[in-house]
Amino acid sequence: MAEQTEAWGQLLIAANAGDARAYARFLQTVSPVLRGVVRARGAGLGEAACEDVLQEVLLAIHLKRHTWQPDAPVRPWLYAITRYKVVDAFRARGRKVDLPIEDFAEVLAADAGPDPTEAADMAKVIGMLDGRSAEIVRKIGLEGASVAETGQALTMSDGAVRVALHRAFKTLAILRERHVK
Amino acid sequence: MKTDDLIRALAADTLRPRPVMTTLMQGLIPSLAIALAVVWFAFGFRADLATALVTPVSAIRGVLTVVLGLVSMRIALLLARPEGRDTARLWPLAVVGAAALGMLAWAYVTTPAEARQMATVGKTITVCLVAIPMLSILPVASVLYALRQGATTAPARAGFVAGLAGSGLSAAIYALHCTEDSPLFYVTWYGLAIMGVTLASTLIGSRVLRW
Repeated sequence: MAEQTEAWGQLLIAANAGDARAYARFLQTVSPVLRGVVRARGAGLGEAACEDVLQEVLLAIHLKRHTWQPDAPVRPWLYAITRYKVVDAFRARGRKVDLPIEDFAEVLAADAGPDPTEAADMAKVIGMLDGRSAEIVRKIGLEGASVAETGQALTMSDGAVRVALHRAFKTLAILRERHVK
Repeated sequence: MKTDDLIRALAADTLRPRPVMTTLMQGLIPSLAIALAVVWFAFGFRADLATALVTPVSAIRGVLTVVLGLVSMRIALLLARPEGRDTARLWPLAVVGAAALGMLAWAYVTTPAEARQMATVGKTITVCLVAIPMLSILPVASVLYALRQGATTAPARAGFVAGLAGSGLSAAIYALHCTEDSPLFYVTWYGLAIMGVTLASTLIGSRVLRW
């Protein structure tokens, strides 16, 4: 556990210094742990809804990553964000009871559930972005294009793509706040 | 969208937001400079400022308000971090409050009974109660703005210390003009003005500091 946390800290330090690969690795490493936290809290909500909440948590971590201090342990910081967002998300979803079809899966049929890491909310709010921002997020996320490739495809400079992507995530957080709940 | 796809997109965003401390300083320093300019040009510094700054009973007013402001700012910066809710301690504020009440009690005892009322009421209650909140608006707003760029998980508490930070420092600036040197006056009325601002800031914080 201590070793793991130290590894998280090193990845996050590298990430904050601008190492995109270390940052991706950090998010990939913490995701399973956070998914476990979300599912434990949101038992009965369904895996797809939990994945939505997890993505909300990841977006929050991303937008607030400058609030982590290199001399502070990563875990309390990470869990504090997760707790805040999970409580928030479940409170919001608690208003309208959400019974996903997966709950009946065993009764109805033994179909393979939907891909457990597929979530719907993020796609929905990406659709609410302006066309160009949505395309940048999709190109880089879904198609795995680099910033440079995206810039070429959309005839934008790399810098403009970066700024647009950065703004898109800020907007996504606001849109989620407004529309998902 | 799959979580792995989201992570790929997030990792491509390499523009890092400014540290909260930087945002705070960029807003607070100009705000306080404006408050200082207003006190200087609109109210005027007290004529005996140099003497007042070395007269203990008068200087303590400045020390108390500055310490209140700085301690609150420090707590606000802790609360700007998500784990600050568990790590930030509010008791230093109680120490500052107790010191102010101690000054009040000392002044009560040392002021002759017949002079107490005059010392407490003074001549400038209205100006004091209007000026301190007015001067606090920009500084408190700049602290709240900085906290919004942070990630507080205790919005009301963060709004509370933002109010104390901004109004404490603003009261210290107002003290450069104010000639009411009795703790009976300044602990009471500065205290009331600061509490009013802090109440408003707590209410605002509990709304605008959610994310």
